Amino acid sequence: MKGQKLDKAISLGEAKGLKKFLQKDLTPYLVFLIPMAFLCVFLFWPLVTTLLRAFMRSGNKFNLGALGFSGFEKFLTSALYQKSLRNSFIVGISVTALSLLVGVPMGYFVARVKIPGKRLMLSLGILPVIMPSFIGAFSWIILLGRQGFVRHYINILLSPLGIEMPPIYGMFGMIFCMTLTYYPFVFLLSHGAFSSANALLEDAGMLMGASRWRILRTITFPLVLPSIGAAALLVFIRSIGNFGIPAIIGGDQYVLPTLIYFRVNGFWDLNGASSIAVVNVLITGLVLWFQKYVVSRHEYETISASRVDIKQNEHPVVRSLSALYCFIVLLVSLAPQIVIIIMSFFEKWQGLLPEGLTLANYSRIPKNSPKELLNSLYLSIVATLLTAILGSIVAYITERRKPIGAGILDMAVMAPFILPGTVVSVALLSAFSGKSIIPLGGTYTIIIIAYMVRRTPYVYRSVAASLTQLNPSLEEASTIAGAHWIYTFRRVSVPLILPGIISGSILTFSTLLQELSTTILLYGARTRTVPIQIYGAVADGQLGEASALSVMLLLVVFAIVYMTNKSKDANLSAGLKM
Amino acid sequence: MSLDLNYRDVTKIFGAKGKNPVKALREVSFTIQPGELFCLLGPSGCGKTTLLRSTAGLESISSGHIFYGGKDMTTIPPFRRNIGMVFQSFALYPHMNIFENVAYGLRVRKTPEAEVKRKVTEVMELVGLMDELRRNPSPSGLSGGQQQRVAIARALVYDPDLLLLDEPLANLDAKLRRYMRAEIRRIQKATHITTIFVTHDQEEAMAVGDRLAVMRKGIVEQIGTSDELYNRPNSAFVANFIGKMNFLNASMTARERGAARARLVGGGEVKVSEPRNHLPAAVAIGTPVLLGARPEQLSISTARSEGAVDGKVNIIQHLGQFVRYEVSVDGAISAQSFEVDMPGLVQGIAEGDHVFVTIKDGLASLYLPEEGKSE
Repeated sequence: MKGQKLDKAISLGEAKGLKKFLQKDLTPYLVFLIPMAFLCVFLFWPLVTTLLRAFMRSGNKFNLGALGFSGFEKFLTSALYQKSLRNSFIVGISVTALSLLVGVPMGYFVARVKIPGKRLMLSLGILPVIMPSFIGAFSWIILLGRQGFVRHYINILLSPLGIEMPPIYGMFGMIFCMTLTYYPFVFLLSHGAFSSANALLEDAGMLMGASRWRILRTITFPLVLPSIGAAALLVFIRSIGNFGIPAIIGGDQYVLPTLIYFRVNGFWDLNGASSIAVVNVLITGLVLWFQKYVVSRHEYETISASRVDIKQNEHPVVRSLSALYCFIVLLVSLAPQIVIIIMSFFEKWQGLLPEGLTLANYSRIPKNSPKELLNSLYLSIVATLLTAILGSIVAYITERRKPIGAGILDMAVMAPFILPGTVVSVALLSAFSGKSIIPLGGTYTIIIIAYMVRRTPYVYRSVAASLTQLNPSLEEASTIAGAHWIYTFRRVSVPLILPGIISGSILTFSTLLQELSTTILLYGARTRTVPIQIYGAVADGQLGEASALSVMLLLVVFAIVYMTNKSKDANLSAGLKM
Repeated sequence: MSLDLNYRDVTKIFGAKGKNPVKALREVSFTIQPGELFCLLGPSGCGKTTLLRSTAGLESISSGHIFYGGKDMTTIPPFRRNIGMVFQSFALYPHMNIFENVAYGLRVRKTPEAEVKRKVTEVMELVGLMDELRRNPSPSGLSGGQQQRVAIARALVYDPDLLLLDEPLANLDAKLRRYMRAEIRRIQKATHITTIFVTHDQEEAMAVGDRLAVMRKGIVEQIGTSDELYNRPNSAFVANFIGKMNFLNASMTARERGAARARLVGGGEVKVSEPRNHLPAAVAIGTPVLLGARPEQLSISTARSEGAVDGKVNIIQHLGQFVRYEVSVDGAISAQSFEVDMPGLVQGIAEGDHVFVTIKDGLASLYLPEEGKSE
């Protein structure tokens, strides 16, 4: 009797099959389509166009009939191309090596030696990464350029020996500035690894009779190696894609990103630029592959039941030497910021002391760069808001709903993370400039899109990190309580991942304010930004005005980062990881 | 009004299209009575959590049907099922105070404010958290047991048709666990909501449940009250999962209506009468079987007697109401050492001594060995 009743219930249920499908909630799929469409139009298509253009004869004509290798042949025939390629390699490798040399000991000292002011060191340490790197470059010109005062005095010291320190322009300058800009990645990541390693492992080694050095070599170092490897990769990718430093301090030494700029700006040769871009990306890809298959094989899972605080080295000599080392590194890497602040109040700085105390550098800003200020704010705010939405949705979809193709979505979103800014610009120009189906050349839109494409990884990673910490049963509990997934998303998921969204957005906003490498190829007369203005002022030798503008940028970025660090929830570092 | 819950041929295969499909549930069919507090019990990986999550709709089942009160709920999305669930991690919202946590399901149902207040107060009184409700802290300001009560209150506040508890006590310490299981039973009896309680702890299941189902490898092995499962387990697995059972290797020698005779490997023959004989009728003479006895159904002495097994005392543990003797025996007789519970210390037996173990008259049971069981 009862069985029959249940059978009836079953047949009733099956009759409703079609209706069920129509009732089925299609919203997730619709929401999934929006980021997919965005990525297709503004990432895949430009990248495909770039790839095609790379095989076309130089110029900006998009001609599928004449494919060939003329763009790449230049790397065999042109001395400038060969030199740029070689320079890029040298810069990438040297900066990576030097950053490791500077950053790993510092990470170790701050993690394992009892020195004062560790928190301060950690927050000051992140500044060079967040501050605009080209500002550092031109500040080193003030110190070590042709008329740089530090160089002046070094030369006086060196003159009895009959040698002279060359001005900072060129390879040395690029490597020097980039190392100071990027060593914090190594410092912060290795500090994290050194301080989170399980102290019991080292205690166990010591109880089994191993010496301090043996423990460092056989236990500590292998365990932190993956983090250091990841940091090295990050430094290499960043330094090989950096545009601002070589553009300002490179002198007559080109690297691939400046060569791309040269092709586009000097010749409007998009096809030629695409070839260089492809080579640039190939190098990055190669290194990435190397990291993935060689370095990551040495990763270990941390097996730990309980945690013990790591013992700090308290030897007085070790303590004072470590503290001195960290102090010097921080001082040198923050010197540019200090110099810029001083410079902004003076007319010139050619002797020991700057001359002509003035506020004119600041008072000229509203007259000379009102449009640039507004543009920078407008572009950064709009792009940040859109990036926050796009990045959060993509992160939520790939982490939580895991649709078919989530892996591709993840790769697509993260791809621009390793693409140099100039490459992204070239890709967008190839697809949307001139007589494209969607002509966007010289518009605000193309800059906003470029910003979004480049910064979505920040928000994406940051939100994904907070999602993995969010127990799925919190959302299930809401579903069980009767909430539709949109209600759950709004009341449970969003409030809980909000810190991730906010820190990703802050990172996005503060780096967009200072964006140079993408903007430099995309701006038009209407869409100039503050970094473009600074770059122009440096090129014209207007160091005072450039400094005043830079100080404003520094202040805004510093204020944002400082406020973020004060609130406990936000964690900027998640967005920087790969 | 409480609903009954009916499973019919519920099957769940994980990774059905992949290389290694895992059958988490194999054609599970049974019924839970209205208002019953029902325990799903089994070792990890037995499918009990999958069955609970399928009941909630958090997993969609591969085939079969699940009925609430005669209504097929198989394809109804979880948020339309009107059920309450308490998670192992409690899953309280850290960004809401406890009032808002409990009120969540009412807010979803757009309940008027006055009604929300009344119902939250009512349910918090039921779970005994009135003082905490007045302070109204965020969940992190509560102890584990209080968080547990909030989680229960949150699941009960909107009068669900069904209450699902997924290892609700696993995150509490041992003493609190014993207290809370009595509380859960009290609250369930007060509300009379049909309830499923998932656990891997047999003591907990026996203490809490009106009836329990023992699951293994996606199959329900046996359903019954605590008493039935302890005193009349129908398989060696259930016998050893619900309490301890010692097994002696034997072979069947004769069958007389419901009863059967078995000869121990070490000699001696035992007759097992109908209710304790769990051999299928088709078992042939000479088949290897297991003779089972609980620790209190064995006794030891220094004197040899008819059908006794000789062994060596490894450990003597005085456990209060009884004394447990661990006795190692010949591997051919039993794969494991015996546990024998005696009401008090037996004079003249020390650790390392030779002893004789006998099954008390008429208390042995007969089972098929595990390997012989078809899956």
